[in-house]
Amino acid sequence: MFKFSFPSFWTTTPFLVLFFFLLPVLIVLSSLFGDYSDNWAHLYDYVLLDYIGNTLYLIIGVSLLSLLIGTSTAWIVTNYDFFGKSFIEWALILPLATPPYILAYTFTGFFDAYGTANNLIRDIFSLDQSFIFFPNIRNIYGAVIVFSFTLYPYIYLASRSAFLNQSRSMLESGRMLGLGQFEIFYKLSLPIIRPAIIGGLMLVIMETISDFGAVDHFAIQTFTTGVFRTWHGMYDLKTAMQLASILLIFVATFVWIEKISRKKALYTSGASTFKPAKKIKLLKYKAFIGFFACFIPILIGFILPITELTIWAVSYNLTFFNEKFILAAMNTIFLSVTAAVLCTSIALIINFSIRFKKHRSSNFLSSFLSMGYAVPGLILAVGIVQLFALVDQNILFNTDIILTGSIIGLIFAYIIKSYALANSTFEAGFQRISTNLDDSARTLKSSGWNLLSRIHFPLLKTSFLTSILMVSSEVVKELPATLILRPFNFDTLAVATYVYAAEERMFQAAAPAIAIMLVGLIPIILLTKMISSSRSMDK
Amino acid sequence: MTILEIKNLHHTYDNESYALEDINLSINDGEIVSILGPSGCGKTTLLRVIAGLERQSRGTIKMNDQIISNEKFMIPPEKRSIGLVVQDKALFPHLNVINNVVFGIQKNKEKYKLAKDYLNIFKVEELADEYPHEISGGEQQSVALARAMAPHPNILLLDEPFSALDQSLKTELHHETKKIFREQGLTVLIVSHDKDEAKFLSDRLIYIENGKISPQ
Repeated sequence: MFKFSFPSFWTTTPFLVLFFFLLPVLIVLSSLFGDYSDNWAHLYDYVLLDYIGNTLYLIIGVSLLSLLIGTSTAWIVTNYDFFGKSFIEWALILPLATPPYILAYTFTGFFDAYGTANNLIRDIFSLDQSFIFFPNIRNIYGAVIVFSFTLYPYIYLASRSAFLNQSRSMLESGRMLGLGQFEIFYKLSLPIIRPAIIGGLMLVIMETISDFGAVDHFAIQTFTTGVFRTWHGMYDLKTAMQLASILLIFVATFVWIEKISRKKALYTSGASTFKPAKKIKLLKYKAFIGFFACFIPILIGFILPITELTIWAVSYNLTFFNEKFILAAMNTIFLSVTAAVLCTSIALIINFSIRFKKHRSSNFLSSFLSMGYAVPGLILAVGIVQLFALVDQNILFNTDIILTGSIIGLIFAYIIKSYALANSTFEAGFQRISTNLDDSARTLKSSGWNLLSRIHFPLLKTSFLTSILMVSSEVVKELPATLILRPFNFDTLAVATYVYAAEERMFQAAAPAIAIMLVGLIPIILLTKMISSSRSMDK
Repeated sequence: MTILEIKNLHHTYDNESYALEDINLSINDGEIVSILGPSGCGKTTLLRVIAGLERQSRGTIKMNDQIISNEKFMIPPEKRSIGLVVQDKALFPHLNVINNVVFGIQKNKEKYKLAKDYLNIFKVEELADEYPHEISGGEQQSVALARAMAPHPNILLLDEPFSALDQSLKTELHHETKKIFREQGLTVLIVSHDKDEAKFLSDRLIYIENGKISPQ
């Protein structure tokens, strides 16, 4: 007796969603197999080498500096006790709330020839108005500093948790073998946590490659600005897609390295006889040095930009609070909440169906669906524009106005880009629910939507809300995809900040930039709570 | 009348060696049967296959003379009318006791009265408004049994239901539970590693060793 039945909603949905998530990326990659226009000759002769050179320079510079900041601060707060450490410990992740493009704008205003920093020096030392102390920051070195001081928290978080897992007896053995504190750091601790650091470093590199706002403001020619200029300057979408494909191959390489490093990160965990390392109390000038070394990254990455932006906003006599700002804020709230609710719901349904249907390919599904976080917003935008144009012209009655240029494209891009955040929240949430609950509920005649709504959803309410907050704060910061995909005359806070900054109207850019940073604090507060609750559980 | 009939049942995980091999078993209406065997012998797997939570590689399972699963066909657990109580009770933590018991009762105007009756049978009716974490292990066990019995299943499957309780509580619950099973005329299949418990509770014992029913 063979009875054919259609695959159920729970079996097909994850694959269907994966198909839609992959479409824009596949469209971009397909451009590699098409014709190559004459513009390639121009790119090859004049700018391609700059794109590659500058991108590599940024990667190397940002990697080295953020490694230095991230690992040294993590080492200090893990192994030493000093005045203000409990504040420093969580404040070191605050720069995550500052998107690189906002730090770039504030740096420009702060360190300009007649910016706050140079004015301050001239006033303090009664120097001539033509005297310039701080050099020009709008160059590749400035970009390295901007990226490093906003992205180092990825390395700080990874190294801190790895350092915390190092056993006291191992470090004590090192001391018995004659190593000093500094030697223990770079000869023992650092090599052991290397795989964990590489995971964080890859995130830093991917964010650096993906950025558009900061490099564009500093007029540095990289792959992302190249894609944008080829499309909007040369009006050559095909070449822009081909450039984007090369960038995508770059990114895929780093994603691959990150995945491998995660597998190897296991060996950083402590042995069964684990004892946490004993903290050394720093006193007097040593305590000051410890505090100061950790405070500098917080000062540059968070306090300085938020202070400068507040001064700008106040000196603008609060007239920034106009119709345009309110409209941009409302658009941002609408987009971020819509995208967050949709993305979170999709992640909930997919994670539930993987669990309910016991998909054999669950690891493959989760990894591929989460790949969007690594795809630069600009590439995603290019792929979506092309996809929607195809759908509009071939399926929706030969028009080009229904999907293209609508907010659907924006929300689609946000969902793909933020899915990894929502997914990781639900993966952790589902792991906490015993499968015995599912088994019992199923024998009590509950399955599918009934099981999801009566058992899993009530138990995952916190994960649901966490995911909505994480995704919406990510969406608020997203610039390149918004810039390209937004409907005509549709501004968001990120776009308003970019447009004002591009026109050197820093005072007007301040209010939307502050709003973005404040929203960016939400995931940091959540992260801090999660870390402290996991620590109290460990105790 | 035979309630559950298992014929030539085989089960493997990932096509490796058999977790269950050529199991043949039938259980009559109102009979209480215990499956005994060492850890890892396949007792729990057998229970999960009967419940429909795992699918057998070969063989047929019939309930009330109707096939509920074979190589080509499988009725999902929610449609089998089988009650299940597992070792950790698996009470739904976000629901209070009464709503845990009501959970499996199909749309019925008097479902809360019915649920209270079952709580009454296990003498835990005063805990109706409490949440699982607010009651003791023994009380949780009674609620789990009441919840599994409330939808009137054809057969009740119990997987080491008393193993997490201390000896005095176990003995008390053994007497109480056996009495209730008899009064209600329930068909029950119990998995246990405790021979005394199995002997006391059941009409018949079955031994499993290395995935096979062994004659003892």
